[in-house]
Amino acid sequence: MDSKLTPEMAAMAAELALGVLEGEERAEALRHALSDPAFAEAVRQWQAQLDPLGEGFAEAPAPNLWSAIEARLDAQPRAEEVSKIRIWQGATVLAGALAAGLAAVAIFNSAAVRETPQTTAPVVIAQLSGTDGTLLAANLDTQGGALTIRAVALPQSELVPELWVIPGDGVPRSLGLISPEGMTRVALSESLRPLVVDGAILAVSLETASGAPHTAPSSTPIAMGKISAI
Amino acid sequence: MIVLPALPHRYVGWRANYSPRNRAAAGGFVYSSLLDKHPPDNAEDMSNADLATARRSELSGLLERVAGGDRKALAAVYDRTSAKLFGVCLRITRDREAAEDVLQDVYLKVWNRAGRFDRTFASPITWLCAIARNAAIDWVRKHGTLVLPVADPETPGSAEIDEAMEAMAEGEERALIFDCLEALPANQQRAIRLAFFDGSSHSELASIMQVPLGTTKSWIRRGLQQLRGCLESG
Repeated sequence: MDSKLTPEMAAMAAELALGVLEGEERAEALRHALSDPAFAEAVRQWQAQLDPLGEGFAEAPAPNLWSAIEARLDAQPRAEEVSKIRIWQGATVLAGALAAGLAAVAIFNSAAVRETPQTTAPVVIAQLSGTDGTLLAANLDTQGGALTIRAVALPQSELVPELWVIPGDGVPRSLGLISPEGMTRVALSESLRPLVVDGAILAVSLETASGAPHTAPSSTPIAMGKISAI
Repeated sequence: MIVLPALPHRYVGWRANYSPRNRAAAGGFVYSSLLDKHPPDNAEDMSNADLATARRSELSGLLERVAGGDRKALAAVYDRTSAKLFGVCLRITRDREAAEDVLQDVYLKVWNRAGRFDRTFASPITWLCAIARNAAIDWVRKHGTLVLPVADPETPGSAEIDEAMEAMAEGEERALIFDCLEALPANQQRAIRLAFFDGSSHSELASIMQVPLGTTKSWIRRGLQQLRGCLESG
């Protein structure tokens, strides 16, 4: 167990599962959980071992919050109730509509835009937005080898954001997990580079950290936007 | 963070109104809502262990219906588990309003994630408590806490957990981890209990236990290693 991890990383995985980490240490551990499958597995194993302690919590009479919960259920679409294929096809249409609003986009890397002479490769950007103010901004390296995405506002979740590209064929391909806070640099493999181009859709869904990159999203996207060259 | 010598009135208040001892004495179980509201026909003939198994099986079945999009099943899960999960949220956030917000989030998470519950791998109440604990810890790491729990094992907080564990030992088979936890040296055990049940962070542990940060970190790490050794040899 933990054989792939250094003792320091194995200890960090245990501490993340227990919940004692805070501040930068917690952020670092969460980043490892996103990017390192062996670390994520170690966290999962520790959780499986520690979770039965939860039975030791004492009850406290809860106020009746059911109607409030039910109201929030009404406001939330349920992925399983709608065909996933239809959702993702619809995503393309919706993203087109969002792209129409891109005129008002707050360009993520405006300094880079200013410093890029018109004669060189265009700056490629996307704004990914969703309901509840979810907002991410992305830009593509001029060589197309990597994409930088910044999470501006994401809903709080134990799940982690996974980035997808939906090219013209409408089939989402995972670009991997991204950080729920701050910037993530996403290296694009040779096979993905031709897909991450002007006009393709970028989308983010919330997924479990284990098993990523996934072959298909498990739920509706929380944000999406069209890639635009400007 | 402000370390107060005593807990604020609000924190003490709900404890004063709620006695797990009375509840355990009346119902025989800490996790008693299933039994109270839905007694099996042959309740008198069933042993405590049978009842525990019946409750677990019923709750697992409800979660499986939630996974299929059955809202009434989620309402039934809320009915049976909200006191337990509110206990988790309140204990860790130490703020009633926050605990109510987190509890709502918890049931939305249950709604969205019920498809991942697998009764062959986890007890339903363990699975639910883990969602609640993680959500509450996310909240306190994001917002901070106003007060620290106290380390004295004679405080009501620790006593409640002891009672919960005693009641559980009477009512159903107790998880091995409780025996492993009790076998740890006192300081390691206390640090891990505070971290797990009160959501205390490394720096909070150092403040509560009044030792350097490196000392509590080492207690936590050695304690977790010994726990794992115990679990894997048991």
